[in-house]
Amino acid sequence: MLGVGDFYYELGVQIIEVCLALKHRNGGLITLEELHQQVLKGRGKFAQDVSQDDLIRAIKKLKALGTGFGIIPVGGTYLIQSVPAELNMDHTVVLQLAEKNGYVTVSEIKTSLKWETERARQVLEHLLKEGLAWLDLQAPGEAHYWLPALFTDLYSQEITAEEAREALP
Amino acid sequence: MAMSFEWPWQYRFPPFFTLQPNVDTRQKQLAAWCSLVLSFCRLHKQSSMTVMEAQESPLFNNVKLQRKLPVESIQIVLEELRKKGNLEWLDKSKSSFLIMWRRPEEWGKLIYQWVSRSGQNNSVFTLYELTNGEDTEDEGIESILQDFQGHL
Repeated sequence: MLGVGDFYYELGVQIIEVCLALKHRNGGLITLEELHQQVLKGRGKFAQDVSQDDLIRAIKKLKALGTGFGIIPVGGTYLIQSVPAELNMDHTVVLQLAEKNGYVTVSEIKTSLKWETERARQVLEHLLKEGLAWLDLQAPGEAHYWLPALFTDLYSQEITAEEAREALP
Repeated sequence: MAMSFEWPWQYRFPPFFTLQPNVDTRQKQLAAWCSLVLSFCRLHKQSSMTVMEAQESPLFNNVKLQRKLPVESIQIVLEELRKKGNLEWLDKSKSSFLIMWRRPEEWGKLIYQWVSRSGQNNSVFTLYELTNGEDTEDEGIESILQDFQGHL
């Protein structure tokens, strides 16, 4: 299992800190890539190097401890869920769809997944409610639902002092 | 003292310009807008604005992103700032406003500290001296006091 001083234990603590600090922005959903960047930043140059595989292993251990962490495969990488939002298969599959452009629309869902409008709408409403998606009414055509977690502009943006404070117990 | 100003990540995030339906998300959004308005005005040493100016200003209108905050939402942001004590309407019809990126109490404290530092406690001096004296720090004291003067 895990012991204090264990590499994965310490990594797990770091992962939790990063997720807590960024939860305010992304609602508790973060790509493995961004998590990796932020963890490496926090480790400094003398720390042992950490790979994405290491992160996945650490997160699996966190999951096993019942911390509410989730790992969602999307487009060749993973979304890490750190807040126990209720996400079922429908939500997950829409997240996977959103990964391509960072946003998703009702039309896209209907076309790609062959769903009825109502089913698509319900999933998007849920994502809004969980704070995982933001609504954009000025997009061309129809409403776009953007996920801060997938907003690549956000990658390697410094964690602000405010956000760091949020991470403290 | 030069202020470095960087647009926050939200400014490049298209939904930032749509008032969010989810209450928690909206709270975060409004807090970010308030913060942005204050740092923008501070950078540009702008202490008053009309609502019309605001609508077309890069502050609320991100041309590159093709998104602008609609006027009803701008009003909501301004009302938040008013509630926090950072904004005062200059007319009844709410067409122009004073932005106090430092609230009056904060300015009072700053001025008091400056006066104490320059050893001028208990002396009377004019607004001209205050705003044009050699010791005046580049804190935008001049523009704020000028605006207050006009406001009186």
